[in-house]
Amino acid sequence: MPDDATAIAVDEFLPHPPARVWRALTDPDSLARWLMPNDFAPVVGHRFTFRTDPVPGSGFDGIVACEVLAMEPERLLRISWRGGPNLDTTVTWRLVPEGRGTRLFLDHSGFDPDDPGHQAARRIMGGGWRSHMLRRLIEVLDAPPPPDPA
Amino acid sequence: MSTDVFAALASPVRRQILELLIDGPQPVNSLAAHFDMRRPSVSEHLRVLRDAGLVTEQRDGRHRHYRLEAAPLSEVRDWLSPYERFWRTKLRNLRDLLDETDGDRAGDDA
Repeated sequence: MPDDATAIAVDEFLPHPPARVWRALTDPDSLARWLMPNDFAPVVGHRFTFRTDPVPGSGFDGIVACEVLAMEPERLLRISWRGGPNLDTTVTWRLVPEGRGTRLFLDHSGFDPDDPGHQAARRIMGGGWRSHMLRRLIEVLDAPPPPDPA
Repeated sequence: MSTDVFAALASPVRRQILELLIDGPQPVNSLAAHFDMRRPSVSEHLRVLRDAGLVTEQRDGRHRHYRLEAAPLSEVRDWLSPYERFWRTKLRNLRDLLDETDGDRAGDDA
């Protein structure tokens, strides 16, 4: 995974076989349920949109314009992801069998390295801290507060 | 957004202190043992973290314990990468959806 400020990489273990995960990624109704309403079709070259709420002040009008760039059934799906005033990025899902389930890797790349937010992120969160520690910190954030020291 | 939080996180030593506190509060002496520096230097780093609201100090008799405070980190999370948070939420949605519609799980096992 590129440990830089132009990409985001997250992954999730799903206790379901790749065939089921693949269907959830490529069926428009399923996509609408876990991601956003869309007119996706599992065909390379198909252009479609995801639609969500606009984000006031950000220039994002709630429409993500996409194109299916690559498909390897039950292994890989890559789409372009364009939205807002200057977001021209690529989202790639990779499915890797893991035990009785699937690990889903998501790589969202192509963010502008000159964007002030990304520059600051790179400066502060160098090395493995951003990918590893921030993740653990987020788990802490999502967990109930620790008990008082006895 | 508090710039103090980012200044505090800019130091590798202070980031390491936060890592050490993830598993629970620790006394100053235990924290200081991890660093090749004099105790007053460690105390200074702890002061910066305290001023940024990232840790709090608790007195327990003669000992001072430091505890990680999550609230300012949520600022960092939101600011660093809205998309990272977006995708984590969406992948959780996906997991929930798959868990709910569990119909053909067994039949698909390879």
